[in-house]
Amino acid sequence: MNVLARIMMWTGGTALITAAGLNLLSVIGRHTGLPLKGAIELVQVGVLVAGTLALVSATLARNHARVHLVLDRLKPGGAHLVERLSILLTMAFYAALLCGSAWLASDLWGSQEVSELLGVPWRWLRMFLNAGLVAVLVLLARQLVERKR
Amino acid sequence: MFATPETGLIGLVLLFALLISGVPIGVSLGLVGTGGLIVALGFEPALIKAGVIVVETLTRYELGTLPLFMLMAHLFFSANASRDLFDAAAKLVGHRRGGLAYASIGGCAGFGAINGSSLATAATIGLVALPEMRQRGYSDALATGTVAAGGTLGQMLPPSGALIVYGIIAEQSVGKLFTATLIPGISQMLFYCLVVWLLVRWRPSIAPASERATWRERGQAMLRIADMLGLLCLVLGGIVLGWFSPSEASSIGTVGALAITAWRGRLTREVLFRAFSETLRTSGLIFLVIIGALVFSTFISVTGLTDAVGHWVTGLALGTIPTLIVVAGLLLLLGSVLDGLALMLLTTPILLPVVESVGMSPIWFGIFITRAMEIGFVHPPLGMNLYVIQGVAKDVSINRIFKGVMPFLASDLIHLLLLILFPAMALWLPGLFGQ
Repeated sequence: MNVLARIMMWTGGTALITAAGLNLLSVIGRHTGLPLKGAIELVQVGVLVAGTLALVSATLARNHARVHLVLDRLKPGGAHLVERLSILLTMAFYAALLCGSAWLASDLWGSQEVSELLGVPWRWLRMFLNAGLVAVLVLLARQLVERKR
Repeated sequence: MFATPETGLIGLVLLFALLISGVPIGVSLGLVGTGGLIVALGFEPALIKAGVIVVETLTRYELGTLPLFMLMAHLFFSANASRDLFDAAAKLVGHRRGGLAYASIGGCAGFGAINGSSLATAATIGLVALPEMRQRGYSDALATGTVAAGGTLGQMLPPSGALIVYGIIAEQSVGKLFTATLIPGISQMLFYCLVVWLLVRWRPSIAPASERATWRERGQAMLRIADMLGLLCLVLGGIVLGWFSPSEASSIGTVGALAITAWRGRLTREVLFRAFSETLRTSGLIFLVIIGALVFSTFISVTGLTDAVGHWVTGLALGTIPTLIVVAGLLLLLGSVLDGLALMLLTTPILLPVVESVGMSPIWFGIFITRAMEIGFVHPPLGMNLYVIQGVAKDVSINRIFKGVMPFLASDLIHLLLLILFPAMALWLPGLFGQ
């Protein structure tokens, strides 16, 4: 696994552990009368970072949930064709998501959208998500080219 | 534009074709959903809607529940949880005739309560239990059938991945779903034990009795799992009693699992990295499916197909039980060609309103559809658990494994019927705890 992928796994995992820790502190705080203000907003940030990196990791590992009924019965040539078609369709869906998300981000860029309690700047998080979607598309394009060779 | 039930129907047929062709489930759902929204609403609103869904999904506080419970499971896996759980159950009941089969079911229930996945439960407990049972002279059919069926407890006992996904796409409380699945999950486990008991009474030679462990050995085995069981009781009990939300419970579980793994001296940099990688890869796969399902479900609701189907079913005036039996039949039929997640995501937007129109609650339907999709894990031609078990016991033919799982499958059908006849199996506990 290359350095970038390792950094991505550590970052995503750390985001999850941090979210878990914040949630735990929030529960303890709630039951001891010392509520942790804004914990939910920080957990949301952790979920977005981990979730975006999870989409990239799953693409990198070519990890897909699919129905194997027909796929497992195809000859190698047919299976290869379905695989390439799947990559193309996956790219189409991710491209649609990226277009929609980038459209929203550009519409809301000037509105300085921030979270209620801590003022977390959502536009940077949207940027992070969009960067993740771009990374997924680049990985898929690479997989498509690799298969063509 | 073309926001009509017919458009929705064409979308459903297209989706079915893509799923069967082997296109990834999330992509099939998302593409048909986005394409359908373009047809129904136009290009710009469709793309904006898809963009809103991806952002809203990935910033949902509850979404963290899934990867955190997965991380907890991976950490416990590194701490040797499956071996310890099976050992404890085997030490307690392994000396009885069929005892190791009961222990496998108990082990599956325990590990299922940790990881929430049928395939992982069957594979992990299978690795530990199958060699043990076969070494002690258990019949191949009983040994493999027990673990294949026991694996399905993974999704029926909280924290269940399927119920978390259902909760998100059907906008239902995950905590309520976890509480509602307790009685169906535990009764399913008892049904499996009853099947083993009947099989062993009928043909005692298939599961010979073996040596009884001493009380000291039993105590030691129980001590080894006490920390895990304690944490699980806190996590599940906390959700049921309303001390904390499922998302908070998953966080407590993860931090607890981290502490237990460290306490057992197994928390290394490599273990942590492996747990992170596995969690992210599997979560990414499921997140894509959830995003796709939400886009698809928006498309279906825009077309008015759900209302049309609801009106049609109400017009038939079949009554509650016959309608639910027809729905169960449809799910089992589709479960022969679609795997669990695809089945749930394809049918929930259509069948949930139907079920609601005959007076059943969405919480009950969540448990019902999960139960139905679990049956698909053990019946051919898909029967994923059967193939997982064959991967563990390579010298046992798939036909023999299927023969072994047949009695359990029969008990599954009876159990599903009971869930239809007595919805209180799922709804009584949430009501009792005021959820």
